[in-house]
Amino acid sequence: MLSFIFISICLIVAGMGIALLSKVQRLKESADKIKTLSLSLEEMDEQAKLIMRTDMELNKAQEELDKKIAGLDTLQKLSKEINTTLEEKQIFKKIDNKYLEALGFKQSLAFLWRSLEREFRLCLCLGYSHEESERIENAVNLNKDYFLDLIHNRATASSEFATDNFLTKDKVRQLFLTHSFIICPVLTQEADQGFIFVGTQDIDATITKGDREFISILANQIGQTLDNARLFEKTWKSQQELEIKVEERTHQLTQALEEVKRISRRKSDFISSVSHELRTPLTSIKGYAAILLAGKLGAMPDEIKARLEKINRHSDELMQMINDLLDISRIESGKVDMKIAGQDLKSIVEKISDLLSEQLKIKNITFAGNIPDNCQNIMAARGQIERVFINLVGNALKFTPQNGKISINANRLNNTVQIDVQDTGFGIPQDDQEHIFDEFYRVDNTINQEVKGTGLGLALVRQIIEAHQGKIWVESKPGEGSTFSFTLKAGQ
Amino acid sequence: MFVSHFTITISLVNNFIDPLMFALYTKLAMIISSGFSQLKEHVQAVNEAIGQAVIGLKNVPVSLAIIFTSTEFAHPLVLKAANNLLGGIPILGCSSQMILTDQGVFKYGFAVLLISLTQQTFFNINTVKNIKPDTSLSSGEELANKLLYGFKNVRRSLSIIFSDSLITGGTNLINGLQENLGRSFPLVGASPSDDFANQKTFQYVNNELLSESCSGIIFGGKFNFGFGIKHGWLALGKIRTVTTSEGNLIKEIDGLPAVKLYEEYLAKDTMELAKELRRISTSYPIGIYLQGEKEYLLRNIISIKDDGSLITQGNVPQNSRIRLMISTEDSRLKAAITASEEAKRNFGMEKIKFVMIFDSAARLTLLGRQKSIEIGVIKEVFGKDTPLIGICTNGEQAPLKSINYLGQTYLHNQSINILAIGDQ
Repeated sequence: MLSFIFISICLIVAGMGIALLSKVQRLKESADKIKTLSLSLEEMDEQAKLIMRTDMELNKAQEELDKKIAGLDTLQKLSKEINTTLEEKQIFKKIDNKYLEALGFKQSLAFLWRSLEREFRLCLCLGYSHEESERIENAVNLNKDYFLDLIHNRATASSEFATDNFLTKDKVRQLFLTHSFIICPVLTQEADQGFIFVGTQDIDATITKGDREFISILANQIGQTLDNARLFEKTWKSQQELEIKVEERTHQLTQALEEVKRISRRKSDFISSVSHELRTPLTSIKGYAAILLAGKLGAMPDEIKARLEKINRHSDELMQMINDLLDISRIESGKVDMKIAGQDLKSIVEKISDLLSEQLKIKNITFAGNIPDNCQNIMAARGQIERVFINLVGNALKFTPQNGKISINANRLNNTVQIDVQDTGFGIPQDDQEHIFDEFYRVDNTINQEVKGTGLGLALVRQIIEAHQGKIWVESKPGEGSTFSFTLKAGQ
Repeated sequence: MFVSHFTITISLVNNFIDPLMFALYTKLAMIISSGFSQLKEHVQAVNEAIGQAVIGLKNVPVSLAIIFTSTEFAHPLVLKAANNLLGGIPILGCSSQMILTDQGVFKYGFAVLLISLTQQTFFNINTVKNIKPDTSLSSGEELANKLLYGFKNVRRSLSIIFSDSLITGGTNLINGLQENLGRSFPLVGASPSDDFANQKTFQYVNNELLSESCSGIIFGGKFNFGFGIKHGWLALGKIRTVTTSEGNLIKEIDGLPAVKLYEEYLAKDTMELAKELRRISTSYPIGIYLQGEKEYLLRNIISIKDDGSLITQGNVPQNSRIRLMISTEDSRLKAAITASEEAKRNFGMEKIKFVMIFDSAARLTLLGRQKSIEIGVIKEVFGKDTPLIGICTNGEQAPLKSINYLGQTYLHNQSINILAIGDQ
């Protein structure tokens, strides 16, 4: 019985021992699990720390990127505004709170150095009261060497990046009543330079490298625009001066032209009256010469007759010259009433051809008239334009050698008809071409020496064409012939 | 400009003071109209915005005006101009760093919402001034009493408050309000953010421009609302315990100076942390674990003390279980959608007349150039024709949802608080 009890107790103890061992084992396992979990938790916490640090860096980068995008966008808009400004005073007015805030600042001041007064002058004030800005302007001028130094060294100062200067960051903060700031020189090619200040009282704001770059770009932009504005002002002033000079010169020229016209009128009047005065006695001379030649006062010896014929011929020439002169002066003074009407160019050319056919035949000169249908109608005073053709074809006839050719061609240019009188004559030297329409101008050649002329024919032609509001010119090469061209309005 | 020609009929029907006038009005539904202006000249902007809103109301008597402006508009003359145009109707509002409207988020502007209420809807507005840290609790109690005055026999529905975000003891202020309004009474509010330069926020009550004050409105009668508040931050890392704290001062976490938590996670010393505190606090706030709540309650760090203690925006109770929080743009946007959907669901089947948004300045800062993206997702939930008006905040007040907290209002940080309002 006792042994049974003993065995039972032993078994129970053994069982309990086993259970205990098993529990200890389980506890050990649980402890291991807890340890593993705790380790995992620690590891996860470490990972959480890593996540947080990475997130912070990413956020910072994102913030900087956002700031840069916003800054670039603002700078682009601001540049557009500033660039279109050509007045120095207006440049700074374009910078307003909207742009300043978009760049991350709330205060801004800009100063330009006035070298004559030797002081900085305030040009822009944002985020300050009038009193504050006045106080700051005085303080800036009291410390002008610092700011002149910045400009001279092209240095940018900011609350984040130290400058080796006697004015410490804290003093700048006090001076501008701000916390974070950037001061950047506004550099110009010439004349007064200055600086721009931007700042914020936000104690959490930090100035980044990007902020400095943006303000530096803005300062450069302002500098360039100031240069442009100053250049524009200079150019504008020069232009104004030039315009005044041109006006004065125009006035002088107008006066001179009036004087020339007055003299010309007097010349024309003089020629007109002299011509009239000459024509009267000349008519008498010619009349008497004719009476004598007709033998009405008795027969005359041949020698006298020959002399009388010379008197008669020279009188005719003189009369012709006087008539031409009178015509020129009349046309010049507008006394000739040009009865301009639609004319048939073809019939005019045919008439000229008939008129000069005998002379053409003598020199065996071919005459051709080429008038297209669209040039047939011209607006002209018939008598006057016939004189033009007679003069031009007559000249061509005069200067074209035997077996030569004279042609009249016409072509239509919009509402104008251009008529060319072309010959295969001796041509006109280049130097003479520009004077050929002048009164009494005669080209120095053998024919002119042999054939008499007044030197008024082409002058008269020019007057007639100009009275028709046309143009006349000559193209010629010595030895190859000449082409006289003129324009007339086309008829309906 | 043209607004001065309009006549605005003053309605006292919604004010509990004159219940005998009820019979004179037969309007059946709440009517809303809004206006917004960004004109540089402030009084002209007031004219333009109110003009737009008045035209939208089509001669219906106005009961109440909600005005939200950027800080530049916080001037007595602006408020005087608004009062003159609105003909003395009750005005409630505040200045803020940013204004939210249907059109987006604006740093500058004057927004107005004119509300015409039915004769079965009642409201009362009031304010408490000169709130000091040691008087915030009693100020809260005082405001609650003032708001409740005359509401004894009327069913109360909701209270909205605007408090100066620069006053300390915001949690005590809410506690004081709840003391008298009731712990579970729906109290929603915002502490508008300032623009950091003026270091001041302003509250508008009728013709008064106030600071260091808290203004509020209580609605009752036939009135319906639904709200949703979310932030979108997720917990990261081990759970920690606030071993020592006092109000909004966390002294120790897991027995170590509180700042060690940030030093450890971000591998930065105290000096570096202090330098980047706003960015760090915005991106990685502390999250307090709340049993039964889907999201942690966030707390921004305002400053670090020399002994390594952290000052937070809002209280952190001792023994709170906390974690560092992290978010992505996607998680924050999803939170805005969830908050909107929740507000819509809570509102019920009736037509929502307008939506008021209190959006944390931190969220808008994180969105950077895409500030209006949240407005976009909110509009998708409520429909493009529902008027939206809101402000940027430095603290949002809203009840917690879980049964453990019995609908008690808490101060939230970095959250978007959506309030849908309409008739019952």
